Amino acid sequence: MDYTFWTIAPIVLLPFFAFVINAFIVKKFTKLAVAISTGSIFVSFLFALRIFFDFMNVYSVGYHIHKVFPWFNLSSGSHVFEVKMGIYIDNMTSVMLLMVTGVATLIHVFSTWYMHDDPRFGRFFVYMSLFTSAMLGLVLSDNLLSVFIFWELMGFCSYSLIGFYYEKEGAGNASMKAFMTTRVGDVFFLLGILAIWSVVGNVSFVDIYNAIAAGKFNGLTISVFSIGVPVATLAGFSIFMGTMGKSAQVPLQVWLPDAMWGPTPCSALIHAATMVAAGVYLSLRMYPLMELGHLTTFIAYIGAITAFGAATIALIQTDIKAVLAYSTISQLGYMVLGIGVGSYNASFMHLITHAVFKACLFLSAGSVIHSIHCQEMPQMGGLRKKLPYTFFAMLLCCFAIAGVPFFSGFVSKDRILGDALVMAFNNPVYIPVALLGFGGALLTAFYMFRMLFLTFLGEPRDHHIYDHAHEEHLGWNSNIPLLILSVFTLGLFYSGSFTGQGEVNLFGSRNEWFSTLIHKPDAESLHHYAEYKSEDFGDVDTRDKLELPKAEYDPNHGMSEEVAHHVHYIHHVGAIASVIIAFAGIFLAFSMYVKKSISADWWAQTFVGWRRALQNKYYFDDLYIGKIIQKGLIPFNNFLAWFDMGIYDKYGVDGWAAVNRFAYTVSRWFDNTVIDSGMVDGTGWSVRAMNTILRWVQSGKIQLYFIVLIAVLAGYVWKLSF
Amino acid sequence: MINLGSYLGISFALFICGILVMIARKNIIAILLGIELILNASALNFAAYTKFSNNNLDGHILSLFIIVTAAAEAAVGLGIVIRFFQLRESIHIDDAASLQN
Repeated sequence: MDYTFWTIAPIVLLPFFAFVINAFIVKKFTKLAVAISTGSIFVSFLFALRIFFDFMNVYSVGYHIHKVFPWFNLSSGSHVFEVKMGIYIDNMTSVMLLMVTGVATLIHVFSTWYMHDDPRFGRFFVYMSLFTSAMLGLVLSDNLLSVFIFWELMGFCSYSLIGFYYEKEGAGNASMKAFMTTRVGDVFFLLGILAIWSVVGNVSFVDIYNAIAAGKFNGLTISVFSIGVPVATLAGFSIFMGTMGKSAQVPLQVWLPDAMWGPTPCSALIHAATMVAAGVYLSLRMYPLMELGHLTTFIAYIGAITAFGAATIALIQTDIKAVLAYSTISQLGYMVLGIGVGSYNASFMHLITHAVFKACLFLSAGSVIHSIHCQEMPQMGGLRKKLPYTFFAMLLCCFAIAGVPFFSGFVSKDRILGDALVMAFNNPVYIPVALLGFGGALLTAFYMFRMLFLTFLGEPRDHHIYDHAHEEHLGWNSNIPLLILSVFTLGLFYSGSFTGQGEVNLFGSRNEWFSTLIHKPDAESLHHYAEYKSEDFGDVDTRDKLELPKAEYDPNHGMSEEVAHHVHYIHHVGAIASVIIAFAGIFLAFSMYVKKSISADWWAQTFVGWRRALQNKYYFDDLYIGKIIQKGLIPFNNFLAWFDMGIYDKYGVDGWAAVNRFAYTVSRWFDNTVIDSGMVDGTGWSVRAMNTILRWVQSGKIQLYFIVLIAVLAGYVWKLSF
Repeated sequence: MINLGSYLGISFALFICGILVMIARKNIIAILLGIELILNASALNFAAYTKFSNNNLDGHILSLFIIVTAAAEAAVGLGIVIRFFQLRESIHIDDAASLQN
């Protein structure tokens, strides 16, 4: 297939133009704006689908499209400073494009129902279009600089949508909190880009891979507080800080629960499916750098702590969206854990599967909230009869996230946990990581089904709310997206088999397409990036891809027979353990909230201290707001304000004013005295003086003139004569 | 002995008299008379130089021209004086001072 500008760029440009057009027409033609927004993202989805099927058709590991155009060129002489923008699509990008456009389309459709009665119905879609185009731009980017630009653009949309209901003070504060928290990560991300630029001289992914393969980072250190730190570690850490900010990893996770102030569809798209996953996507792209910088253990620990810690907080939440928010943090923790234990493929797969089922969960929560106008789970209960489609979708998604076999969450999460277990067997450092991972899986199953049971099963706890739940308000545009998304929670779409272990093949030779096509860029494959050519935009892509070898499924994953056997054995242990854990979690939730054979109150009263710690979210907010902001930043701020007002303004600005006033006095004196009185008036005075003399001569008496004439003539004659 | 110096001496005396008259007298007609004296002094000079040189008539002819010119000038001058008198009821030269300032 030939790729030109017009077969790739519309994916980004259509939502962007929708944003530009809508920004102008949204007040007068709200319905048209919504239609443009939704339609443009759907057309983007079609373009992405075409690219995805092309990649599936070629089915080769090395297949990629890389097109660049010069952005700006500041080269002078031998000093080269040329920045190029470009599009880089490989197997990972094609899957990501399909996921983003697909989920975004369904969420746009859902939003036409959810936001319909909102006074700012149109404005919501303006932000959503801009966000979607930024996310797609990030996915298509071939270099870190444009990733950063789109990253910030997404951030802007995120803050705007968190503060969408700006009448509420909490929404504004949450928006500010999200801004401040992610800012920490973003500054580090920018530092990381600069560090890479200083070594590679370019920030394109392919060039970074080439530089790593060529060993440009080897032996380079930079002094941080007079300790020599390898540049690769510094750059990798800085970029991972960006991930921590965006993907809400400990200790920058505090903003994501508050982000639930935004409208629920925006939570589904931005704070569950795409934007928070962009951080993980970035870390996946920069995985060789993380590995080179020996950061994987650190990353694994951050991920494991996040996955377990957020899961524990989710246990006691009563707000349905808060449960989902903490579950998102926890699942993002699993992805980061996957990166840390080298489970590249499974981590990316979990990104995709999580995006699908978490978007579906949020949309389900959205339809519950919109139907009963309440977010507190203790006031729900028994809604199964009122909202059957929502219940069905949420049930499937809960199965998926809990890791029940045959569902997508099992396929991806089980692989991450299996790889963590393999690492733990090989290296005792990883034992806590694996334990936290499995513990988190138990808690995940428990709290998700706790949410499901509290919401949909049992007796209605608040009859007023129950009786007013309006199922009839649900329309096709609320139910269809839920059902489509819930279908894709089945594992076979991702693994080609029901269990995800490759035993039961449905798609023949195409089994396990995900792990066959998407490979960790390891030391060997990095060298191939040197052959990757980039082409200019505008030309037809003439690469003959028939020469590319078809990717084969390797059951040993490139390991020797013996090692592979060992790893498979551990994976089986892990798989059995996660199945047991998932069902144990579900059973616990069932017996606690449906059968009531275990008393939830007893647990709450027994572990009071724990409960308090969880209710305070492990005191992170207290630490940040109470200590760092109140004790540190605000006094510092006051000091700066004092410096600004007391020193800079008083002495600098006012002092300069005094100097100017003095200069003004001097120059006024000079002007009045010297220029005006001396020179201007002096000229007039001298002219008048001359006038007085000449007036005396011009007496008008003809005889006087005659005397002068005679005198001059006589003088002349006198002069001639002698 | 009457020679060129004698003629020139009379001519110079006439000329000085004319100048003095022009400067000293306030009567416009007297000033015109002074002018006539100066013209006559110059005419006498022409005649004298011709007499003591190569005996042609150039100087005489020029003298005649001067006489004619003087007559015409006197006519114009007296016309101006009459108009002036009609305007100012005076022929005092200091009354003709409107060029002052």
